[in-house]
Amino acid sequence: MPIRLENKNNLTVCHIDGEIDINSSPGIKKAFDKLIAKKEPKVVVNFSKVSYVDSSGLATLVEVLKNMRTYGGRLRLTNLSPKIKSLFEITKLEKLFDIVAEEEEAISTFM
Amino acid sequence: MEKEVVIKAENVIKKFGERTILNGISLEVYRGDTFVIMGGSGCGKSTFLRHITGALKPDSGKIYLLGKDLTRVSDDEMDALKKKIGMCFQSAALFDSMTVGENVSLPLREHTKLERGVIDIVVKMKLELVGLRGFEDLMPSQLSGGMRKRVGLARAIAMDPEIVFYDEPTAGLDPIVAGVIDKLILDLSKKLSITSIVVTHDMKSVFSIADRVAMLYEGKVLEVGTSDEIKRSNNPSVQQFISGSPDGPIRFFQQKDDYLEHLIR
Repeated sequence: MPIRLENKNNLTVCHIDGEIDINSSPGIKKAFDKLIAKKEPKVVVNFSKVSYVDSSGLATLVEVLKNMRTYGGRLRLTNLSPKIKSLFEITKLEKLFDIVAEEEEAISTFM
Repeated sequence: MEKEVVIKAENVIKKFGERTILNGISLEVYRGDTFVIMGGSGCGKSTFLRHITGALKPDSGKIYLLGKDLTRVSDDEMDALKKKIGMCFQSAALFDSMTVGENVSLPLREHTKLERGVIDIVVKMKLELVGLRGFEDLMPSQLSGGMRKRVGLARAIAMDPEIVFYDEPTAGLDPIVAGVIDKLILDLSKKLSITSIVVTHDMKSVFSIADRVAMLYEGKVLEVGTSDEIKRSNNPSVQQFISGSPDGPIRFFQQKDDYLEHLIR
């Protein structure tokens, strides 16, 4: 599984490694489903080791956000490469997601 | 920087019976380009398209798609390649018994393990790109010709292909709708960094979308170059095709001396 979970300051940080694509998205979705089942209130996804995101990856993140919102959970994305950030912009998703430049800032300001 | 070649044809020859349809076609397509294959009816352009998508094999010559030799690939390799290409057919080729959403999601339902909720979101994203979000539940019969083509395009890009092949995308559309489709092809190519191969005889389309153009005639590449190079070509056949003149080196009828003999044979 290319996803590692870490507890920091009472929130969960997800480190995803590699590509979020048609092949890896179903597995990544299952990992998030476990957090959602526990009604995890705050989740930060660190993209520093993500090399590529395709449409299915974006759709998976949208579905996770949608499901977290049902119980008031919040999702924050951080450390996006310029290429991946522009992908969020092209698809108009940068306004849907809470995107913060660095993990440290994402955690310390996640009230 | 040297451009990456994503399609390469080397001396491709194909005969159907006695007729030579492709007579030694060689060309290269670069990543990210919109490459237009133009030519009149029967020049071999659609047959060539079917070769570079792996639907037909040449009698001789080589075709490389994303680095793989299509004359030698295994079935598994071909299946993997097919996931990296999208096809947009002349007739849109939608399934009339399925809704727009079901048509667009078909490749994802067939080829991936994505769950329903995620697939529904991908469908909305793709329909947004072609300007048809909100039309998910309509049937193809409730759409105009241009809208059907846009649905076909949304389906072609459902799997995030590296290359999209378009067969006569503006055929049968009025000039305004044809312009919309052309703009969409350009937008998608640039936004999503897709390589587009467009087969057409619509000259207006050719020069509004092409980075590079190959003109085919009688199964051969008459000329290949940028849009400007083709426009400035000294080749009388190319100029005849651009101007749409019935008179010139391109013959529209197969004139044969044995007509009378053929009648009484």
